[in-house]
Amino acid sequence: MRWLSKSVEFVGKVGLFGLRVVVDSLRPPFEFAQCFRQLAEVGNKSLALVVVSGFALGAVMTLHTRNTLVTFGATSMIPAVQAVSFFVEIGPLVAGLLLAGRVGSGIGAVLANMRASEQIDAIESLSIDSFKYLVVPRVLACVIALPFLTLFMDFAGLLGGFLSEELSSHIAPILYLNRAFEYLQWSNFIAPTLKTAVFGFIIGSISSYFGYTTDKGAQGVGEAATNSVVLSSLLIIVADVLLIKCIFFLFPETAV
Amino acid sequence: MSRRYLGVGIFIIVGLVLFALGIFLVGSRHEAFSRHVLLYTEFTDLDGIAKGSKVQVSGMDAGQVTRIEVPRSPSGHFRVQMKVDEQLHGLVRTDSVVTVDTEGVVGNTFLTIHSGSLNAAIAQAGSVLQSKPPVTMSDLLSHGLGIMNDADATIKQVGGKLNVALDGINGAVGNVNDLLLGLKEGRGPAGMILRDEKMADQVRETMSNVQSTTSNLNQASGRVNVLVANIQQRDLPQKLDDTMTRIRSASTRADETIQKVQQSLAQALGPDANGVTAGQNVSEALANANVATGNMAEDTEALKHNFFFKGFFNHRGYYTLASLSPEEYRHTKLFGSTQSPRVWLQADTLFRHGPHGPEELTPNGKHAIDAAVASFGNPIFTHPIVIEGYSDAATPADALSWSYARAQLVRNYVDARYPFTTKNIGVMPLSATPPPGLGHDGWSGICIVVAEKK
Amino acid sequence: MSDPKTIAVEFKRVMKSFGTKRVLNDVSFHIDQGQALCLLGRSGTGKSVTLKLIMALMRPDSGEVYVDQDNVVSMGEKGLSLVRKKLGYLFQDAALFDSLTLYENLALPLSRLTKKSKDEIDDVVHHVLTDVGLGGDGAKYPSALSGGMKKRAGLARALVLEPKILLADEPSSGLDRITASEIDGLLMRRKVEHRTALIIVTHDVHGARRVADRVGVLDKGNLVAFGSVDEVSQSENEVARKLITEGSNV
Repeated sequence: MRWLSKSVEFVGKVGLFGLRVVVDSLRPPFEFAQCFRQLAEVGNKSLALVVVSGFALGAVMTLHTRNTLVTFGATSMIPAVQAVSFFVEIGPLVAGLLLAGRVGSGIGAVLANMRASEQIDAIESLSIDSFKYLVVPRVLACVIALPFLTLFMDFAGLLGGFLSEELSSHIAPILYLNRAFEYLQWSNFIAPTLKTAVFGFIIGSISSYFGYTTDKGAQGVGEAATNSVVLSSLLIIVADVLLIKCIFFLFPETAV
Repeated sequence: MSRRYLGVGIFIIVGLVLFALGIFLVGSRHEAFSRHVLLYTEFTDLDGIAKGSKVQVSGMDAGQVTRIEVPRSPSGHFRVQMKVDEQLHGLVRTDSVVTVDTEGVVGNTFLTIHSGSLNAAIAQAGSVLQSKPPVTMSDLLSHGLGIMNDADATIKQVGGKLNVALDGINGAVGNVNDLLLGLKEGRGPAGMILRDEKMADQVRETMSNVQSTTSNLNQASGRVNVLVANIQQRDLPQKLDDTMTRIRSASTRADETIQKVQQSLAQALGPDANGVTAGQNVSEALANANVATGNMAEDTEALKHNFFFKGFFNHRGYYTLASLSPEEYRHTKLFGSTQSPRVWLQADTLFRHGPHGPEELTPNGKHAIDAAVASFGNPIFTHPIVIEGYSDAATPADALSWSYARAQLVRNYVDARYPFTTKNIGVMPLSATPPPGLGHDGWSGICIVVAEKK
Repeated sequence: MSDPKTIAVEFKRVMKSFGTKRVLNDVSFHIDQGQALCLLGRSGTGKSVTLKLIMALMRPDSGEVYVDQDNVVSMGEKGLSLVRKKLGYLFQDAALFDSLTLYENLALPLSRLTKKSKDEIDDVVHHVLTDVGLGGDGAKYPSALSGGMKKRAGLARALVLEPKILLADEPSSGLDRITASEIDGLLMRRKVEHRTALIIVTHDVHGARRVADRVGVLDKGNLVAFGSVDEVSQSENEVARKLITEGSNV
């Protein structure tokens, strides 16, 4: 029972924290410089990771699907399978998980360290709202950067798939591109890309929660980093299920 | 600081460009930025067509289904609104017909607006086009299977009747034997006439039996033709592989049956020269049966060609030599492979110039071919055999025609001498150039290949 | 009672608990401008909490805290930002912002709480850094500084706003005696030259004896002794007496 009430309490705390992020991000003054700094941290520095893994994943995907599709004589479907799977699910989800790993742990550790070394108190002592100064920009950076990173992932995956396919069947780039987008519709390009903003919000606010609220000193730093990654990855996957249902609901033609 | 701004700026700009690119690529697919006309059609059965399904005009992507109105009562129709690219509007006439089609084996359903006739007026925006109800695959398959079962049953029947007929023939032959013995033993001519009448009746009865089965068989093959036409029209059979094997096994069974009949006939008619007349009749009837099963085989053959995945069959080794050019043939994996056993025979030993000009086989050549056939062992009975003809004649036209003539000569000899199924033996004129990688740069003569697929 | 106009900080019956643990129990005291108060006591007796209450980083459960005659307990963020301009806070581990250079660390309070131009800020930062002996280190990040340098940098940041009241949390902890007395020297100079009130939380009784005009001893949340060094050393409370006299032997 205690465990249960603690869990519920935890959900409540995280929920209020998230709500505070939303409210504070809409209330002036805005910390633009901080947002920009965090955007560079979250976006630019994750770019290489996302592009390289997208490329590799794309190549691997094609190698796998190729075999199966060749059996059905449906080799012309390879680009479409590649594009649909990347744009609809693999791109958003993997980009989200990669960001949770790279940035989530970073945010958790940095904020926990700032809490432990009284830097957050120091900020407060300058009459700066530490929540708006530290948490909101980080969450916003994740929300803004992740859809972009997802696009990078999608196109890197497509490029990887194309090169892998090019090596085995010498397909022309324009034909590949044409076939790739044959089955894509507005709703399964835009909606899955934008849903990653929700993933970004999850990563940013969960990691910030663990970092910002730790009270265990130096020991809390590692703990916050680990918890950030674990919980934000988990929530991303769970949220994905709900978001896909929402997308199906809003755009019924994507659900076949 | 300025460098960070630069980095973030690049990140955002490239991201936006990718987004725009994606939107453009998706958009151009669905012709969101081009002009459209709205057209309507009505269906009692949508067969999976949904909002957003593709619409093609004469095979070109032209737009999508934008709305479907559901009927209120079972007697009503689904009214489908289609957004069609203005550019293709000119092909859509008042007599255009809309059908539901399926992409590939596992694809989505989509609508095709077939282009109308030249004389009809262009269909106005908002007009309702005629539709043709979709034939569902399961209907088609059960129909096809029904026909197959019928054909099967008929063929069994043929087998049974032929056996009855053969019993009759056996009886007749026995009678003839008796008669001859009677003659030899010096029994009177009156007895002979008496016996002969009986025998003649029996043989006549037998013949009519055989003929009626043959017409049954022909009928079955006609129905197969209908099925094939159906399938071609629908252009989509998902489980066609299944159907195909059924057709094939059915025709193989027919073949087998006929083979058995031939064997028993050979046994029945072999020992006595006087049975010849009756035997010839039966042979003719059987030739008819052969034509019937041959039709069936041809029908399956036709399927292979008209069906949408040629590669689908090629992958399984369905080749028709007649449809392969020598160049394609040389590069076909199955025949160009070093794994398929081959025997190379030189022109000098095989042929000599005949008295009337064209080449003919020498006795030595025949021996060489016999030896080659023997050397292949069992596989030659179960696998396709290709006889490649080669000639190093000076002009390309001569080389081609001579190599063809040589291959034909050998084929006719082999065909006549050995019990191979005729359609299993093919010829391929290759002028002077064998397929690459087989150790012969040029050749004059013959090469016999057994296409063993490994 | 001293004249209310010269009172820098005053606590009136302040109570503060964390959960069931009471860290300040009915604490009242005041110090005047230009005075130095050293708060002594064992770890976990609420010394740092006292500083955070003054800075209004925490609110007491009951009681009042006056900074320069303003009650910070009931004050909104706007008023607090005015009060905080008068306060400087030297944190235990300096709490410099890791992501900013030393220069940016010092410029941040000025750009946030004053309307100084960039040139003026440059001047002030440079001046204060030179004052604490870090004139050439403005471009360094905190991670590149030694413990003593960090402490001085933290002090510099606490001083850029020219506070009337300087709060220092263990200014000499983790430092050798010489560096510690350097820091003490800087604090003393501040008090003498600018009549800045000092409230110092410390374990260093030796330093306290040199710097303090007033000494307060906290034990289990109670202010058990308050007064000049001599008064406290003759206090009735054993803990207070022990603390001061032990310190003198060091």
